[in-house]
Amino acid sequence: MAKEIFMPKLSSTMAVGTLLQWFKEEGETVEIGEPLFEIMTDKINIEVEAYDQGVLLKKYFDVDAEVPVNQIIGYIGQAGDKVPDSSPGMTGEEGTTEEKEEATVSEQQELIPTASHTQEGEKPRATPAARRIARTNNLELVFIDGSGPYGRVHKKDVIAHLEAKTSIPKATPLARKIAQTEKVELSSVTGSGVNGKIVKDDVVSAAVPKEAVALQEPATKRRKMSGMRKVIADRMAQSAYTAPHVTLTSEVEMTKVKELRAALLPVIEKQTGFRVSFTDILVKAVGAALVRHPQVNVSIDGDEIVQHSEINIGLAVSVQDGLMVPVIKDVVSKGLAELTIDAKDVGKRARENKLLPDQMRGSTFTVSNLGMYAVDAFTPIINQPESAILGVGRIQDKPVAINGMLEIRPMMTLSLSFDHRALDGAPAAAFLTELKQILENPFELLV
Amino acid sequence: MTTRQITYLEAVREAMSLEMRENNDVFILGEDIGVYGGAFGVTRGMIEEFGPERVRNTPISEAAIAGAAIGSALTGMRPILELQFSDFITIAMDQMVNQAAKTRYMFGGKGKVPMVLRTPAGSGTGAAAQHSQSLEAWMAHIPGLKVVQPSTAYDVKGLLKAAIDDDNPVIFYEHKLLYRTTDDVPEESYKIELGKADIKREGTDVTIVATAIMVHKALEAASELEKEGISVEVVDPRTIVPLDKETIINSVKKTGRLIVVHEAVQRGGFGGEIVSVVAESEAFDYLDAPIKRLGGKAVPIPYNPTLEKAAIPQVPDIIEAVRETVKNK
Repeated sequence: MAKEIFMPKLSSTMAVGTLLQWFKEEGETVEIGEPLFEIMTDKINIEVEAYDQGVLLKKYFDVDAEVPVNQIIGYIGQAGDKVPDSSPGMTGEEGTTEEKEEATVSEQQELIPTASHTQEGEKPRATPAARRIARTNNLELVFIDGSGPYGRVHKKDVIAHLEAKTSIPKATPLARKIAQTEKVELSSVTGSGVNGKIVKDDVVSAAVPKEAVALQEPATKRRKMSGMRKVIADRMAQSAYTAPHVTLTSEVEMTKVKELRAALLPVIEKQTGFRVSFTDILVKAVGAALVRHPQVNVSIDGDEIVQHSEINIGLAVSVQDGLMVPVIKDVVSKGLAELTIDAKDVGKRARENKLLPDQMRGSTFTVSNLGMYAVDAFTPIINQPESAILGVGRIQDKPVAINGMLEIRPMMTLSLSFDHRALDGAPAAAFLTELKQILENPFELLV
Repeated sequence: MTTRQITYLEAVREAMSLEMRENNDVFILGEDIGVYGGAFGVTRGMIEEFGPERVRNTPISEAAIAGAAIGSALTGMRPILELQFSDFITIAMDQMVNQAAKTRYMFGGKGKVPMVLRTPAGSGTGAAAQHSQSLEAWMAHIPGLKVVQPSTAYDVKGLLKAAIDDDNPVIFYEHKLLYRTTDDVPEESYKIELGKADIKREGTDVTIVATAIMVHKALEAASELEKEGISVEVVDPRTIVPLDKETIINSVKKTGRLIVVHEAVQRGGFGGEIVSVVAESEAFDYLDAPIKRLGGKAVPIPYNPTLEKAAIPQVPDIIEAVRETVKNK
């Protein structure tokens, strides 16, 4: 019996997934553990592996389709297994009324023999007489429409086919399928298979020139927003238009943080093999500040405010053509060495697109560090469903007045955007002030 | 050749009488075949013409009748024995299977068993489960026995002559319901070679191979189907051993479709053999529809007349099978 392939639910907030690509075509064999398709959730691109082995019998959705979680998107089974013509709905469901009706319909269709082409992967049904005539005329039965029950090819069908003299090119079912989706005219393809049979590769290479033509179009290029780009676009717009953003900025003197980092650098490097970064220290400090200001560690869910008990910090990581926000869990209980390991790990995984689903969900506050660029301050957009995000600027030596004296100190601007629906200016300002104090006196972290 | 209309029953009697007048070695034996004329009256009047020496009443023992016939055949006579109902062939079976069928072979041809076992078969007379069976497939299974199933008065006379002339034991099945059917039958003696099928009706769309009473049902169905523009060929093998494979195969090559109909229970019936012959032959490549078999249901023949009819193929069943088979013509 054919096994369902369905859209996996990879996070608690994931409602739909976008199909980025299929790695298999219908009719190809699939092993357990082989990547079958790639999806993009609201947070991640991930390759989904096959749980069953067999033949990919059916794909119900094309690339870029947005599919609700648990929706059946295909079937794996043995060649010849019957699968519905359209997605039967959600996996594991007992079946809605609609589904039941559909099932009844398809049962009826089975009872009433239908005339159609041979099903994918099945041997053609044909009477001995039809086979004899096809054989003597070098005709492939798969290309002949059968008029009998279940598409059985009869003598008259072969004769009609002969009379029609339609020179249908020989091609494998897979090549035929690809040709159909790629809109390649099979008659224009030269086959490289046995007796000039058109195989998959022939169609694929025939499809290439068409793309080349597309490239020669006018200088203004358009490309479809797909995959991650689309997700980012949707999520940023949604956050910007639903959450009233207020951004507070504050300059922080980083002298002590620099001293701290200089002192801990060899220690942590010896322990973990990684170099502790300002971001790692910032994460630690943000954690400490959030403990003292839990009103910032909230989410809006409908008309309720959810107070999170855990403090999980999302780290904005720039990746090829996009942005990922992997999560470091429970930062409060972790020391700087552990945070360094975690941050390096998720950063690397994000860039290599190998984040685990668990590393993509559950953040309650995000840190976005643009300090490596010539950026002092900015207005970050909140990573919903969080209620606040911290933008980090560069550390720059600046003249500052200290006790009436002009001194040069390493200064850094923090930009805190918060959702004014969830909290107001005063508590947000108090949080930012707390953070500033911690960073200017990092020994507080030991308290 | 002068012909006139006589019944199947009269044709059987005439074939025996003609032969007995010509050949003193031929005699008949059976239960109550003398003055009473046998269970169906086939031998009525024969004792008057040929006397009790050549029309011998026997005790009620089919084994003894068969044994006596075999013994006399081995010693040079040409006996025709009658069993009242073909169901009782089971009692004669040891004699027929282990003696009659084997002797000529086991003695290297030095002995032969030229005998005919005549017996009425089939249902339709309300004779219930023990007097209505069609067990010809059992006998057809035994090498050394020939099996004849005539369907018309003309055929039964010619085939019985051939059976009497044959030097091997022949099981000659007469159908009870056919006894009263009439046909144009020549007055003089003639012979229809065993193993020669007869195309009872020519057609182009489907071949029906039917035996005994089913030949008539198939012909009736064919007449009905002609009105729908379906041309049915009806082949009557007449003898199932030997079987005229050539005629059947050629017919199927012509029509591309085959239906086999017999009254005997379909399961293990001789229809399966006919279908296999076709499937194994060159006609296979000409088949353009699945082969169909119509046979009796796997039940004892019921006494209730309605159920008795329902237990075997009837004309509407044949019509439906043909329609189904030629659907994708």
